[in-house]
Amino acid sequence: MKKCKLMLGLVLAGLVSLSAQAIEQRDYHKEVIGKDCKACHDQGMKNYPSDQACLQCHDVDDLAEQSARSEEDKWQNPHNNLHYGKELPCIECHGEHEAKKPICSNCHTFKYDKHKE
Amino acid sequence: MSNKDLLGRRNFIKGIGAAAGVAIAAPAMAVSESANGVKWDKEVEVLIIGSGFAGLAAAIEATRKGAKDVHIFEKMSYFGGNSAINGGLFAAPDTPMQKQEGVKDSVATMVADQLAAGRGIADEALLRHVAEHAVEALQMTLDAGSEYHPYLQQLGGHSVARTYQTTVSCGAGITQPLLQECRKIGVHTHNRAKFDGFILDEKGGVVGVKMREGYYFDKPESGELVRIKAKRGVIMATGGFAQNVNMRMAQDPTLTAEVGCTNAPGATGEGMFEMFRLGAVPVHLAHLQSGPWASPDEGGFGYVSNYSIYNFPHSIAIDRLSGKRFMNEIADRKTRADAELNCRDAQGNPLPPILITSYEDSKKHPNTKKVLKYNVGWKFDSIEELAKHFEVPVAPLKQQIAEYNEYVKTQNDPQFGKNMTEAKGKYIKAPFTVVRLWPKVHYCQGGVQINTKAEVKDSLTGQSIPGLYAAGEVCGGIHGVSRLGSCSIPECMVMGMTAARTMMQA
Ligand SMILES: Cc1cc2nc3c(=O)[nH]c(=O)nc-3n(C[C@H](O)[C@H](O)[C@H](O)COP(=O)(O)OP(=O)(O)OC[C@H]3O[C@@H](n4cnc5c(N)ncnc54)[C@H](O)[C@@H]3O)c2cc1C
Repeated sequence: MKKCKLMLGLVLAGLVSLSAQAIEQRDYHKEVIGKDCKACHDQGMKNYPSDQACLQCHDVDDLAEQSARSEEDKWQNPHNNLHYGKELPCIECHGEHEAKKPICSNCHTFKYDKHKE
Repeated sequence: MSNKDLLGRRNFIKGIGAAAGVAIAAPAMAVSESANGVKWDKEVEVLIIGSGFAGLAAAIEATRKGAKDVHIFEKMSYFGGNSAINGGLFAAPDTPMQKQEGVKDSVATMVADQLAAGRGIADEALLRHVAEHAVEALQMTLDAGSEYHPYLQQLGGHSVARTYQTTVSCGAGITQPLLQECRKIGVHTHNRAKFDGFILDEKGGVVGVKMREGYYFDKPESGELVRIKAKRGVIMATGGFAQNVNMRMAQDPTLTAEVGCTNAPGATGEGMFEMFRLGAVPVHLAHLQSGPWASPDEGGFGYVSNYSIYNFPHSIAIDRLSGKRFMNEIADRKTRADAELNCRDAQGNPLPPILITSYEDSKKHPNTKKVLKYNVGWKFDSIEELAKHFEVPVAPLKQQIAEYNEYVKTQNDPQFGKNMTEAKGKYIKAPFTVVRLWPKVHYCQGGVQINTKAEVKDSLTGQSIPGLYAAGEVCGGIHGVSRLGSCSIPECMVMGMTAARTMMQA
């Protein structure tokens, strides 16, 4: 936590450009979470956020509604999909600090225009 | 090795791994240990490892047979393994739908078909046991809410139509209802829990396991080591090793990382290998099956696989260099995969062959729309257009189609001896749909030897290893050289149920 803030401080001061990558963050998350790394890193700073961490703020049913597809493609909804329903942990497809491909792309050529890699 | 030493060594190895930036240490830790003086972190009644068909069926059956405290442990963050991405094709003899459609079938016929594909080294007793109980397994899925297409399919190597398929054309149409059923009846399901080794009593029987909880698949050293006692025993349902390139290449050096794979990432086999270390008999490990219906235009199983499985009986597979057929489109998998691998350009580079189907017939399968929509298949209005797109010589192709259509009429294929029954009246004519074909490593025939009670045999004593049961793809030898399509679901489920029954009687 301390380290995280410190690094941010350095970056903001323009001293260390290298760390910029380490704290890349989505704009809307910056607004809500700010610099509180622990808001997501509930399993310690060195670990991924738990599978429940994102669900403190995001609701699976809402997400499923937002990403719903037409009847014909209804099971390609990443938040309620054919293989795993609504149970897929967020970090399978989303990384706050790193680009990730949706897990579907292991086998399918679906396009998710709004998915930020 | 005392616990303390064990942890010390673990931390030491962890350090090396981190420094070198590579994760090679994990397997070194996966060693069984004696229960003598073990401090158990937990105790459960029935301990199942792996959450595919075999594990889920075992959990439901154990509960039905009276177990009160059943636990499934899964190393991935999600449940279902290969079973959740499988094609949803389920073969069984003497089913209600066969009666309805007037198909004559029997346990003996299904076993005979499988023995033929097994080329003399399949395990007849196990095949018979599975065929005899396949309808019970089908019923278990129906009870849990699985839904099937209202028609039967006849897959390559099967002498009659005996294959059901879920309405979503995917194994998830079974794993999702079974998982819900498990939760409903009180089975405990744990994700991110990786089996790491057995714990043995003084007689060499399995009394518990080492498990890493909070395991992240992309961080091989992650997780907290716990020791879990299993009162009735352990059911290994950890699947195959098709994703383990080293192990694949140890068996068949041609199966390099460049050859595709249809399996889920977790199919790496360490559960199987740990049983070998314990003394289980390794059977048929070199018989790795590649799927001849896969496409190089998408990853894994994708959409094309089920599309082509359905369409092969009324389609022609064409070598793009010659414009001619090169195989019986419904021969068994190995015959077709080998034939496809021979399709190469003048320099010897892979030239994936094409499967041509009349749109009129292909469109009956739900995947056809998706195949076209997601650009892994194409539709053409004329042979010329098709030939141009794939650079196939047009004259021989036209001639081949005309000849083949004659076979459709006469119901006789002198070229490759294809059974033309399913192709009756289905001429190859425009408009066409086309996909490209290239085999992908798909299924491990090999694994640990089991008997018809799902007990694991010890190679040194010839006896069953007490407390240890195995079911599903982790087991070997059942199918022999080549497994027929749609025969894994019944095997996994029946042997999962069998393991639970044996354990509850023991
Ligand atoms: C894409 C595809 C399509 C298929 N289509 C068909 C079909 O239509 N019909 C048919 O009959 N067969 C089909 N098969 C074959 C069939 O799906 C598999 O053989 C079957 O799913 C295996 O089931 P299982 O329960 O043995 O293992 P799996 O379903 O693979 O489950 C094993 C589970 O164990 C977990 N595991 C592994 N190691 C550990 C460990 N150390 N600790 C904890 N957990 C562990 C894995 O992550 C996995 O979730 C298909 C296979 C694939 C890959």
